[in-house]
Amino acid sequence: MTEASSRPLSRFTLIEVNDAKVPLCLRLATSLAAKIAADLGADVVKVEPPGGDPVRRAPPMLPQGGSALFEFLNTSKRSLMLDLASESGRAALAGLVEQADIVLFEEPASVAETLRKAKATPVEIAAFPVEMDASRRPVSELAIQALGGLMHMIGEPERKPLKLAGHQASYAAGLTAFTGLMAALAARDTGRRAPAVRVSLAEVMQWVNWKAASGAAASGISPGREGRNSEFQVLPCRDGHVAVVYTVTQWPATRALIGDPRLDDPKFSTRAGRRQNIAELYAALAPWFADKTREEIQKVAQARGVPFGPIFSPAELLQTEQYLARGFLAEMAHPIEGRLRLPQLPVQWNGRSFAPRPAPELAP
Amino acid sequence: MSGRPLTGIRVLDFGLLTAGANTSAMLGDLGADVIKIESGAYLDPFRVVGKTDDGEGWWNRSPQFRFTNRNKRGLALNLKDPEGQRVIRELAAHCDVVVENFRRGVLDRAGLGYGDLRALNPRLVFAAISSQGDTGPERMNVSFGSTLDATSGIASLTGYEGEEPRISGMDVNYPDQIVSLFATGIVIAAVTEARRTGKGAFLDFSQREVASFTLGEEILAASADPAHRLAPRGNGEAGVAQQDAYRCADGKWLAVTLEAPDSSIEAFCAGKHRDTALAVLLGKGIAAAPCLDGNDLLRDTALQGVTLVRDENGGLVKGLPYRLDGEGLAIERPAPHLGQHTDEVLRELLGYDEARLKQLNDSGVTSTTPTIGEV
Repeated sequence: MTEASSRPLSRFTLIEVNDAKVPLCLRLATSLAAKIAADLGADVVKVEPPGGDPVRRAPPMLPQGGSALFEFLNTSKRSLMLDLASESGRAALAGLVEQADIVLFEEPASVAETLRKAKATPVEIAAFPVEMDASRRPVSELAIQALGGLMHMIGEPERKPLKLAGHQASYAAGLTAFTGLMAALAARDTGRRAPAVRVSLAEVMQWVNWKAASGAAASGISPGREGRNSEFQVLPCRDGHVAVVYTVTQWPATRALIGDPRLDDPKFSTRAGRRQNIAELYAALAPWFADKTREEIQKVAQARGVPFGPIFSPAELLQTEQYLARGFLAEMAHPIEGRLRLPQLPVQWNGRSFAPRPAPELAP
Repeated sequence: MSGRPLTGIRVLDFGLLTAGANTSAMLGDLGADVIKIESGAYLDPFRVVGKTDDGEGWWNRSPQFRFTNRNKRGLALNLKDPEGQRVIRELAAHCDVVVENFRRGVLDRAGLGYGDLRALNPRLVFAAISSQGDTGPERMNVSFGSTLDATSGIASLTGYEGEEPRISGMDVNYPDQIVSLFATGIVIAAVTEARRTGKGAFLDFSQREVASFTLGEEILAASADPAHRLAPRGNGEAGVAQQDAYRCADGKWLAVTLEAPDSSIEAFCAGKHRDTALAVLLGKGIAAAPCLDGNDLLRDTALQGVTLVRDENGGLVKGLPYRLDGEGLAIERPAPHLGQHTDEVLRELLGYDEARLKQLNDSGVTSTTPTIGEV
């Protein structure tokens, strides 16, 4: 599938409308959804405001001055600069949308009202559910992780709650918007009327964090960050850290793997017992990790079916054998930044990957 | 309901727990006919994890199972029995999609892998969701939820600044939650292609890759710049002037994102109850939000949107992550009891008669109870 024409979405045209005044976390979601469609072969026209999408200047930055964030989120797209404050700009946009299957935009965008009525199916990204009536409420990635209950789950109970790294609120919403737009395309393709799609970051974050609500509903007590009292914790090893993870049925294998006689104490034989004596449990586990490398730990743990997780940084992932073997990280020759590597779409389709084209330069 | 996006599509669902079962649930919510295959000898582990009591039929009362398996019909067929395998192969001829997240090789050994089923049905879209993907040296590796926080890179950037990395933990298992949001869309793309070309596809999803994909810009930056900083970042975010969670006078936490640094914000929050501080900050155009817990989410029906709904028995169910034409989830049937629809589906799709159904039941190929004790 190296030829765009043979890619699954090559019959479809999408318009992504960027409005610089919309909060960043919403715009990133829109760009991710459209990028996935573009990598799958759709003709995606990214309509940028005068001066370009501000994400072109957003960190992390690349050595030659480009934005890694922009390059990741805009692969395989075309770009068109339009001033939507002008009548001619809006007319040009209307012409594009007339010919398109899908138009993606955000709820607070100046052109949202018009685009909702377009012939192309609207895919709209918002911060909050319609029930909140909060289309102009200030919002950020952190605010959504807080509202969705995710921050409450991460960190030490007596210290401040933590966000999960990355643009998780934006990207989970972007993945959702991609699935929504595929549902719309599937309907169009069979001659059905396609439904308008609306995705809010706040709803997606709660949906992802569903165990908080289900746990609270079941027991009356919300799950929350347990830090040093959690069953799964991170332990230092010789060259980094490893996440200690095992299921109830994997405990005997875990105990055998560590081989410390203290773990044979009956108080550790049940899950409840391990939770009650968690500090002691981890004190008995820790020495085994301290003198081993992540690679050694992963190898011997996997041999016994124990799912310990060595912690790798994004830089280390570039060297990961599994990723190299699967070709997950594509090489992309960029006209200015040179040779870059980045994750491809995380699917292999009949064994083929979807190598991305570099993000478009800003056309005057 | 003939006009829904996936009306007319049938899914053979081997999905377990969240990653697989939720992908099928999302297809079902879009109008597909989902038939979930379990076995008396191997239940969806969510039936067991969510066990609430020891009484008769306990396997049909798990809240976790109910959360992710609405809008499905449930079949129990023994995958290890050659007769059960034969029935499933017959069913596959009547399906458009297979979703599975078994460990690699399990379905192949049962003669139910993609190669076997494609020979019977070339239009079949086969979604294989696994920890590491279907190829590569780590394809047989086991993982459980937060294993993939660690190996995907997410944990390396999560945590208090200057301290050790952190995982999302067993009450979140973040990497498990996001896979279906992507996989469902890809399955729909492949179904659309199969309808047009008559050719199905093998879709190989690695959950670890999906999690790493969410750090695309970090991996890209690291590939170009060895000095790119990679360590736990607290609540900060590159390009954001100041951002953190601040404790308020009532002990509650407020998340605040500032466009310009303001050293007084900590004291400001400490001096006010959270809701007062929140109102003041929002009034100034500052992005602020309370750090809510599960009970807050249950109470706030406006914030919930369409993410939580109740089925006909009053049980709480995971709703939709999006809405189509403004609508949330329509629950046409609650999560099935084990084997609830086995006979119905075998009659309807395969034309089995009562004698055949009785024979399958008598020989233990089909069942409505677990056939082994503690699963």
